Amino acid sequence: MNSNIPTGTCNSGHHLSRRSLMKGLLTTGGVVVANWGALTHSQTIAAEAKRSGKRCIMLYMAGGVSQIDTFDMKPGRPTAGEFRPVQTKVTGIQVCEYLPNIAKHVDKLGIVRSMRTRTPDHGPGGHYMHTGYHPGERFPHPEVGAMIAKYCENPESDLPSFVKIGSGSGVYGAGYLGPQFEPFVVSEDGKVPGFVNPSVSAEIQDRRGDLLNFMEQRFTEQRKGEPFAAHHTAELRTLRLMRARQVFNVTAEWEKAKDRYGDNKFGRGCFTALKLIEAGVSFVEVAHGNYDTHNDNFPWNKANFALMDPAWGSLMDDLTQRGLLQDTLVVWTSEFGRTPAINVRAGRDHFGRAWTVVLAGGGIKGGQHYGSTDRDGFEVAENPVNEADYCATLYKAMGINPRAKHYLGSRPIWATEEGAKPIQELLG
Amino acid sequence: MADPFADAKVIFTLPWNSEVISAVAFIGNDKVAAANKRGDILIWNLPPAGGKTPDPVRRLVGHTGEINRLLVTPDGKTLISASNDRTVKYWDALSDAGTPGTIVLNDGTPLKGVVEKVDKLPALPPPVEAKVIVQKPIKELAGHKEWIQALAVSWNGKRLVSGDDQGAIIVWDLPAGKELLRWPCKNWVRSLAIAPEGKTVAASQHVPGRDKIVVPPSFHLWNLETGEMKVDLTKEVTGGMSAIAYSPDGKWLATGRGNIEVERPDSRVTLLDPSTGKKIRELTPGHSRGVTDIAFHPDGKHIFSAGRDQLVKVWQLADGKLVRDLGKFAERGYWITSIAISPDGRCLAAADDSTRQVVIYALTGR
Repeated sequence: MNSNIPTGTCNSGHHLSRRSLMKGLLTTGGVVVANWGALTHSQTIAAEAKRSGKRCIMLYMAGGVSQIDTFDMKPGRPTAGEFRPVQTKVTGIQVCEYLPNIAKHVDKLGIVRSMRTRTPDHGPGGHYMHTGYHPGERFPHPEVGAMIAKYCENPESDLPSFVKIGSGSGVYGAGYLGPQFEPFVVSEDGKVPGFVNPSVSAEIQDRRGDLLNFMEQRFTEQRKGEPFAAHHTAELRTLRLMRARQVFNVTAEWEKAKDRYGDNKFGRGCFTALKLIEAGVSFVEVAHGNYDTHNDNFPWNKANFALMDPAWGSLMDDLTQRGLLQDTLVVWTSEFGRTPAINVRAGRDHFGRAWTVVLAGGGIKGGQHYGSTDRDGFEVAENPVNEADYCATLYKAMGINPRAKHYLGSRPIWATEEGAKPIQELLG
Repeated sequence: MADPFADAKVIFTLPWNSEVISAVAFIGNDKVAAANKRGDILIWNLPPAGGKTPDPVRRLVGHTGEINRLLVTPDGKTLISASNDRTVKYWDALSDAGTPGTIVLNDGTPLKGVVEKVDKLPALPPPVEAKVIVQKPIKELAGHKEWIQALAVSWNGKRLVSGDDQGAIIVWDLPAGKELLRWPCKNWVRSLAIAPEGKTVAASQHVPGRDKIVVPPSFHLWNLETGEMKVDLTKEVTGGMSAIAYSPDGKWLATGRGNIEVERPDSRVTLLDPSTGKKIRELTPGHSRGVTDIAFHPDGKHIFSAGRDQLVKVWQLADGKLVRDLGKFAERGYWITSIAISPDGRCLAAADDSTRQVVIYALTGR
């Protein structure tokens, strides 16, 4: 059981162990609690889960991040742009001059330079890269975070298993996996919503809880059914969240870390992700915006990288130093890349035909790139990777069968679509 | 008041479709220099109006990154450029000595507007070449470690000030090319201007981004001789300024609002009292998507502004009245990136990004 819950903030009725909570739920219909998988894991789901102990942090560059300005540079070509490449300690891998902190970790990075994805629009692109399925399918596919939460959550943790820091990357939901795997969305800097902060003293909270328990017990004895159980579990969820909220409060430690991560929302978000992963959360996604650079691509990205690079680099530092990286998959991704051609407004536009994502940790074999693009970056030259292949790679790295079968009613559905191929060359 | 620019008209368009043309400057009244994002500088000799459109005659090579600013010293003898390659370079503005060479004027690809699905560069047309004299810089200032986006020269030609993306402002002995003083700022330095009295430098700073907690734009007047801040005008003129200029008579300090990366519909030129920094008036209606450059006319009565709406606006200083627009309004995706007025006030050069050409206007009967 997670010990990050302050004592004296709730009454005996709220001090439910996971076992007693499960028992209570099962007797009232087995209703699940949204975004609180560990508390409500049904026995069936629990039996399915393979708990690898692995965790995942996804750094999502909202708007579509440029591959040529980061990890697939084209020096000397008309598409090169304003940034210079620097040679890293790994022969053959150059990165942008404005990514010095992440360049230090290049031996841990698996750089996929051959993403070929199918939509250059933000909404569909975000959906595709989060679920591996086309958004046009009228089927509630879960996003990667929900799938990882389902299979990798720590059932003894009191924390949510899937946290999104900022909603800038979109919220695509848990789909057919059920509401218990919906993301818990906190603000960009990692601060929890106001509702989890108690508005009254612990004493009053206790008295209110006692009264509510008494009334609900009388009420539900006479009215069995899911709506009542759902109400009850939602209340429990909120109360547990109120007690666990201190995990999200990184203020004291942030004072020491902010100079390294960068004193901005993304920096704090990455640090909060570290703390959540450390506390047992299975999947944390941190969004960083302003990558939709249709105009002034280079000043925009220079400023973006000044925030992104120290945060990501420091996250890698801390995961490494704390011995967490080997079990923590770090994903740097976006909804698509950006055009090699530079438009008349000195910008780069949406581009899915040949772009880059980066994986690290979690068993990824670093210090290499997979796939390549042609000399100007317009086409994938070798080893194309689509959205489903990408998701399959993440699942495989996390110890999840990419073709895990689930059911929506009686209809079977798979974690990734047929033909999805994990990138074996990157997997340890 | 009569409009002295009523007969303003385009007399030459100088095509240079290699890259975005990022800066222009007049050398005397009959030469114009332009620079682009590739790091090239070309110089044209302008014939009288009605003459044949000239080809460039000189190519200045040495920069390896985007050139952000071009200016000419008050004596007209030296052209100075500031670049993303972290250098400031001096060029002999008047010499024709150099190595014979050629320049291809159309080896770029202008992709107009928002092009969502460009997957190939269009085929280039047959090359249009011009014979030029290739020249190298006569001096290089290497004190900056980041992109140099701001540059200004003092009216007596003795001081040069430059600013970079690391927030460093450097004051140089201009003739000697020697660093005299530097001080740090919190943000990227985007535009600079030295007051005619020679003791004050106005500096605008802002970083791209919408996170106001991290990057609030700021605007200050600094003591050029000590680096001490004299006045904080951040609250007086909000937003990022893409251009700052003092009028030659020292009566006006003008700012052009244009957070370069954030296209705004209400981008205005603001006139301030140089001694107090207090706002005198805003010039409206502003450019639809950001001011890119401003220039005082030598007559002391007008200021010109260029914007991301493909317009050059001519304003009357006395009452702030818009005298006229030059060019054709474009709502989005067509910029005039830079303007310059000839010392005699008769010509205007405008770098038109959408057509990748330098447009030369006769303002007053050249």
